[in-house]
Amino acid sequence: MMALMHSSWKVTLSGFCLLLGWGLAQVAVPRFVEETETSGINSRYDGDYVVGGGVAAFDCNDDGLPDLLLSGGDNKAKFYRNVSRVGGALEFREQTSGLELPQVSGAYPIDLDGDGITDLVLLRAGEDLLMRGLGGCRFQPANKAWGFQSNKNWSTALSATWERGQSWPTLAIGTYVQRDSAFPWGSCTDNLLYRPSSSGQGFAPPIPLRPSYCSLSMLFSDWNRSGIPSLRISNDREYYRGGQEQLWQITPGQPPRLYSESEGWKRLQIWGMGIASYDLSGNGYPVYFLSSMGDNKLQALQDGSQGPTYRDLAFKLGATAHRPYTGGDVHISTAWHAQFEDFNNDGWIDLFIAKGNVGFMKDAATKDPNNLLLGKPDGSFQEAGDKAGLASFLRGRGAALVDLNGDGLLDVVVVNRMDKAQLWRNVGAGSAESPKAMGHWLAVRPQQPGPNRDAIGGWLEVQLGDRVLRRELTIGGGHASGSLGFTHFGLGDMASAKVRILWPDGVWSDWQTTPADQYLWLTRSQGILPAKIGTPSK
Amino acid sequence: MKPIVKAAALVATVTLIGLGLFQPTQAQKKIIVGVSWDNFQEERWKTDEAAIKAALAAGGAEYISTDAQGSTEKQLNDVNTLISKGANALIILAHDKDAIGPAIEAAKAAKIPVIGYDRLIEDPYAYYLTFDNVEVGRIMARDVLKVKPSGVYVFIKGDPGDPNAEFVYGGQREVLEPSIKSGKITVGAVQSTEGWKPENAQRNMEQILTKLNNKVDAVMSSNDGMAGGVVAALTAVKLDGKVAVSGQDGDKAALNRVALGTQTVSVWKDARALGKAAGEIAIELAKGTPLSGIKGTQIFKDGPKKVPMHATLLKPIGITRSNLNIVLDAGWISKDVLCKGVDPAKVPVCK
Repeated sequence: MMALMHSSWKVTLSGFCLLLGWGLAQVAVPRFVEETETSGINSRYDGDYVVGGGVAAFDCNDDGLPDLLLSGGDNKAKFYRNVSRVGGALEFREQTSGLELPQVSGAYPIDLDGDGITDLVLLRAGEDLLMRGLGGCRFQPANKAWGFQSNKNWSTALSATWERGQSWPTLAIGTYVQRDSAFPWGSCTDNLLYRPSSSGQGFAPPIPLRPSYCSLSMLFSDWNRSGIPSLRISNDREYYRGGQEQLWQITPGQPPRLYSESEGWKRLQIWGMGIASYDLSGNGYPVYFLSSMGDNKLQALQDGSQGPTYRDLAFKLGATAHRPYTGGDVHISTAWHAQFEDFNNDGWIDLFIAKGNVGFMKDAATKDPNNLLLGKPDGSFQEAGDKAGLASFLRGRGAALVDLNGDGLLDVVVVNRMDKAQLWRNVGAGSAESPKAMGHWLAVRPQQPGPNRDAIGGWLEVQLGDRVLRRELTIGGGHASGSLGFTHFGLGDMASAKVRILWPDGVWSDWQTTPADQYLWLTRSQGILPAKIGTPSK
Repeated sequence: MKPIVKAAALVATVTLIGLGLFQPTQAQKKIIVGVSWDNFQEERWKTDEAAIKAALAAGGAEYISTDAQGSTEKQLNDVNTLISKGANALIILAHDKDAIGPAIEAAKAAKIPVIGYDRLIEDPYAYYLTFDNVEVGRIMARDVLKVKPSGVYVFIKGDPGDPNAEFVYGGQREVLEPSIKSGKITVGAVQSTEGWKPENAQRNMEQILTKLNNKVDAVMSSNDGMAGGVVAALTAVKLDGKVAVSGQDGDKAALNRVALGTQTVSVWKDARALGKAAGEIAIELAKGTPLSGIKGTQIFKDGPKKVPMHATLLKPIGITRSNLNIVLDAGWISKDVLCKGVDPAKVPVCK
């Protein structure tokens, strides 16, 4: 609750909903230009992998631009170094990195050993791999060195947190069905919790998180602002028997414990595929978007609730995204990676959802376009995927929503099942030839000394007029896809903003004022420092 | 709360009319029936809607409807919309039978009767209207028994988690039990099919044929999709047309197989009969007839929670090679689809 006492601005959820109805103003639609063919990226997600298809975005050559690892299923994963010019077209070079492995379904970047070099966790059908970053975009397996005992299950979800007093992270890995079973229904395998080894180096043997219900997304998030994140798990009701969504209390030094209905948890059964979180109502608490088939869910903590009692806002705010909005297919749609970001830099958070049929499922839409739900000042969302140019009909899965060319406009990468991954460059209000900014922005990357360099579990705040934009720094969620790097804020017409951070240990930084439209390091000792990004285009 | 108060007043008006306490005007007398569709743009529901509309028109009632477009959340909102528009009875095709609860509560609060259409809403406040799934199984068994009164029978059941699968299987066994007891029929295999999926049914059937050395006389497949998988497995060992196969749903491909002789029976549920019954029952309920007062009502208590429900279970029709004219005359299937590859000399309707 410390965090909330410090927050200078607060609106209750009910008050927030009263604002509905005056949001008739037009939302500015960002334009995306597909650059798949010219980007140098040529990667497919093939084979008998109905789920997964992740992409990881991280900077491994210290130029500030995100490099990419794309999973390939039966194909080997491919690593691409980002050679885009700042403000220019998207350009990548395939490069040998040590990450080129088959049976990869997902990937999350994380600095596991706290050496300041990003490592990767590769989720696989088979042994998961901790890939230690060596610098210069080279990686090597470190399971043995770090005592990581993976089993051979099909891993499909990951989240990480640094428990109080620990110098290594705690990893939660979600698994799916038994791949070799002719009848996978009811064959959900154990999710695993890897806590740090008592030796102070690497991991202890994993603890099973039973019951496990075929998990496709996990997120450590501080849902009640207690200072200790809990583990939210989204599960696929197609394959479990009697399962539901889950929230595990992970208290340092104690065994994991499921929140129960007697504590206010409400049973929810969905085809859970991905988790996105954002403080949507501005009250300091994360709201969780859960992607599924048909209705998607937008779960907000109920006002005045003592326990984890959530109510759904998806219908009220126009975020159910349950059926294709273009292309004429009337069947329900299938949602995978979801992420809240501000794509038009207007200061109102938007939501991207990757969509696509499982394979050849007739009950669900075959032509299933990705969604770009643009946030409006009244809190509701407006579909703009087609107008923005993102309405692909391929079988979308994982995605990365990051600024690939350092121009302050977030670009889009989507991995497609049985097809090529696609890339789109955000050109704002302009065109491929002459992109045009839509609003001011800031990109902030916190760094602290010691373990947990990237301050995972911290909260970044940006003061924007009478509002505070608030982001929890997490690793996990989405669909098999993670990004580690700068956190993006759209600022609308504000040419400067105030920034601060709640460090993971509960200490607030001071507010610092900065001009907009730049990349910044936010350090524990020296405050904000400018970050150098890529090479400017001519 | 405003809409509910308004609707409650309307119900009161209807009740007063029923008691004949005052002379109503034409406008007040008209019954409004609200239909909440799950995803109306799916092909099948147009037939149901036409039948409901015709029944309502015949009874002097007005039809209003909403389309949830496959969204549970929208359907909850839709039901409130129908109530606020003055519906005196609701017909609900639930998108998610477990999540529809709050909509039933809203109807209950407004004292508006509800018909669970085609899909069970397991709340005793609702009236349940569907086809008799046990009878589906009985019809399959009777028709297969006619052509294979003895021999080895294989049961390809539906999804193990779907209560309908048990109803169908129960009906089959009920009819076949005397022959099984007397030893005329041997049970070669009983196999559930995850997700009712044709490819799973095919894979299972292939394994069963191997196990039984292809010595199979009849396959009680619980629906047409799975029958397609079964026939594919039989074709691979050249037993198609020699082994009796059941199915249900009146799938176009299945009816063609019936005409070709590779499938014995497809039990057909005429959507027009279901729609007509829904319209007629809705009018009765709107007039204040209690659930138990609907003609032909029986008690159904075979839902997952075993809640006793007032229900009408319509009788389906077994379509075999000898009565294919029924589906043709109903306009359910066109002659070229039904008779594709069929020798007209063997099947009169294909002439």
